[in-house]
Amino acid sequence: MGVGRRAFVYLLTFWVILTLNFLLPRLLPGDPLAALLDPSSSDYVYDPQVRAALAAYYGLDRPLPEQYGRYLLGILTGDLGRSIRLNRPVAELVVGHLPWTLLLVGTALLFSSALALLAGTESAWRRGSWADRGLVSASILLANVPVYFAGMMLLLLFGARLRWLPLAGGRTPFARYPSALAAALDIGRHLILPALTLTLAMLGAKFLLVRNATVNVLGEDFMLVARAKGLPEGRLKWGHALRNALLPFVAHLAAHAGMAVTGAVFIETLFSYPGMGRLIFESVTARDYPVIQGAFLVVSAVVLTANFLADIINLHLDPRLREGGAVG
Amino acid sequence: MMLMVQDLRVTFPLDGKTGLRAVDGVSFDLAPGASLGIVGETGAGKTTIARALLGLHPPGCVQGSIRLDGRELVGLSEEAWRAIRWRRIALVPQSVGTALDPVYRVGDQIAEPLRYHLGLSPAEAWDRSLELARRVGLEPRHLRAYPHQLSGGEKQRALLAMALSCAPDILVLDEPTSGQDMLSRARLLDLLDALCREGGMGLLVISHDLAAVARLTERVAVLYAGQLVEVGPTAEVFQDPRHPYTWGLLHAYPDMSTARDLRGIRGAPPDPANPPPGCRFHPRCTQAIDRCRREEPPLREIGGRWIACHLGGLQTLLRAEGLRKTFFVDGGEPEERVEAVREATLDIREGEVVALVGETGSGKTTLGQMLVGLLPPNGGRVVLEGRELTAAKGKERRAMMSRIQLIPQDPFDAVSPRLTVAEMVREPLDIQAIGTPEEREAKVRQALQTVGLPTSSDFLARRAHELSGGQLQRVVLARALVLEPKLIVADEPVSMLDPSEQARVINLLKEIQTERGLALLLISHDLALVRKIADRILVMHRGQIVEEGPGNRIVTRPEHEHTRVLLEAAPRLG
Repeated sequence: MGVGRRAFVYLLTFWVILTLNFLLPRLLPGDPLAALLDPSSSDYVYDPQVRAALAAYYGLDRPLPEQYGRYLLGILTGDLGRSIRLNRPVAELVVGHLPWTLLLVGTALLFSSALALLAGTESAWRRGSWADRGLVSASILLANVPVYFAGMMLLLLFGARLRWLPLAGGRTPFARYPSALAAALDIGRHLILPALTLTLAMLGAKFLLVRNATVNVLGEDFMLVARAKGLPEGRLKWGHALRNALLPFVAHLAAHAGMAVTGAVFIETLFSYPGMGRLIFESVTARDYPVIQGAFLVVSAVVLTANFLADIINLHLDPRLREGGAVG
Repeated sequence: MMLMVQDLRVTFPLDGKTGLRAVDGVSFDLAPGASLGIVGETGAGKTTIARALLGLHPPGCVQGSIRLDGRELVGLSEEAWRAIRWRRIALVPQSVGTALDPVYRVGDQIAEPLRYHLGLSPAEAWDRSLELARRVGLEPRHLRAYPHQLSGGEKQRALLAMALSCAPDILVLDEPTSGQDMLSRARLLDLLDALCREGGMGLLVISHDLAAVARLTERVAVLYAGQLVEVGPTAEVFQDPRHPYTWGLLHAYPDMSTARDLRGIRGAPPDPANPPPGCRFHPRCTQAIDRCRREEPPLREIGGRWIACHLGGLQTLLRAEGLRKTFFVDGGEPEERVEAVREATLDIREGEVVALVGETGSGKTTLGQMLVGLLPPNGGRVVLEGRELTAAKGKERRAMMSRIQLIPQDPFDAVSPRLTVAEMVREPLDIQAIGTPEEREAKVRQALQTVGLPTSSDFLARRAHELSGGQLQRVVLARALVLEPKLIVADEPVSMLDPSEQARVINLLKEIQTERGLALLLISHDLALVRKIADRILVMHRGQIVEEGPGNRIVTRPEHEHTRVLLEAAPRLG
């Protein structure tokens, strides 16, 4: 499949998600807003302004196709509805939270991937050695430690006991930065612990994946031939073994983009990090349905984009996936 | 001497302390510009040898000595091997489909060793790759392609270009023709042949493709279960194999010039983790003696050929020299004699199928009867397993005669109509007084099973006239088998049967011959039939053997006038 067709498939998937997002609340028994608009319900929204905005957004008195059309149009113009809890547009909340999550998950992905690739390849190269066995056992252990437990321990050690790093938040509250560098340093300091936790959470599985993929590649005939060619070890290890092991690794990254976001929910909550995870968590606790829906939509879009990117990368990495197969 | 391999042993660790000895004491050498083939079945250790020559086995697996221009390679460090690999010894690997890295362009993979070994810049290396590609008949577009975009033949050429890139002193071709269709195989062989002729490069061809080895090499070494069993000039070894294994291997090889059906070697190659004691081929060898089971035969030179066999190679089972038989017409004058057989000389080797072909009255039946000792010759002698049958007397003669069994033309001649099936088959055992009655009974049943007959008591009690022609012929065959002969002389064994039964009996005969390792002398007038199973054909005309040769040669290029006549007369449809 070429890039164009892939993009089309992803757009189609996104449309299905959009439609589900539209249909699900309407498939619930009764009216999705009945509880919110019913004064006798425990979920009653007291703010008349919000009630009006909700009713207008869902437009439940109109026929379904028209509701659907307005809904799609609204999303295209960035209208994701309005938060009940905060009485602010959901889009605004998302714009405020998404960059933090991207920063956190991106950093963790980068570090965990780099470490996993390095250690995984070296470990596979020395398969069966003590170092390899030790690393494999350690990663199995690491992959099975709950995220919140690891985070708590790190928080207790570096935040509470040693006081090296801040305990919570994405930046120092109410701080005014004299320069962009100072801002970056402050944000960086707040990032270290949550990013480290997420890195560790991802590292075990990634390491095992890289190690096993590389072990498989090392058993391939072309590796024997590459060795027979008298190539230097570095070329064999990185140029041939890892290069081929990258293919399953990138596919794994794509498949686990969603997991990375889920992991982020725990960590952001633990570290009071102002990202999407925290927004989702708080909205769930407050039953702030419009926000939950909007966040769900945005996270889906992010995961789909990540998948799409991974696909594009793999297309570049693996000539066999490219369409046409024309020689030359 | 450029490459000298001495007592090469490769052992792979298995669980526990035992190791799998894939190559066990192989020695050979290769002079500059010379070529050597190593042939053998799958699992004989061919690829293991190829990999040992490039130091690709894990450290400690390889013992013995591999010397390149006097320098010992066994035990070199990985770093030292790097300098040998590809620059001195290069390999065209066996698994063409998976030998190229799928993520790099073919040209880059050809250029890769040039960059690392010769220090060429990417552009220079690419130019050299183009040149190499041209030499092997690839175009620039092939170099720009990825491996999955090339056909098997193109990949094979790319691998060859890759192996030639650093102009190695020795090129190892591991199964160069496997997995190729016949046309690309032929083109590849032409190409390899041309490359070798350019000279200088030593060539080691490892293959089970005997024709490829015959085409590319001057000398050949036959590998069986990790050991060499025969080494000699390729043409001679393939023309006249001396080791029983080589002989069997050549007979198992499909060849355009043979009309004969393929025959396998009986049994299966040994488990390399658990090789048999003594000669490793003895369980499959038709001429194995006690010593073969106990002692490993060394590879020694016998008449310009290196052979590992206690018996010095293939044995002649039966030899007839100058046999003569003259019949006198009763009461007639001496002039009215019939010279049935005149000066017949023939050899039958262990496990060989020889056909004696001639028209009615050519003397072939008479010759057959003299060979089995039923008819005393007027002159000449018959030697069986080194002892003269024609001179033997009494008990010795009886024992020798039991080594040869005759299946006569008409099965009704062979058996008494009064006897039951069980008695017919048991009779030879009774006469020779072999075994207890129970043992004889068991042998009878076993023989009947071998020839595919029932062993029910009802069947055992039947008499000759109650059997069909095919059944009776099988009973006669079973009767011949109970004495476990070394040679069966079958005189027109199927001439009384209908065509489909003929085919069945002939196939059965062939099967039993292969399984039991018997030699078979098939006397027949039917060239079309015997050429399907005969290794060698003798043509008889008016009491003389007028032509002798491999089955395919006799059928495709008959030399004697009479052979042509027989061929003309052979049945043809349409």
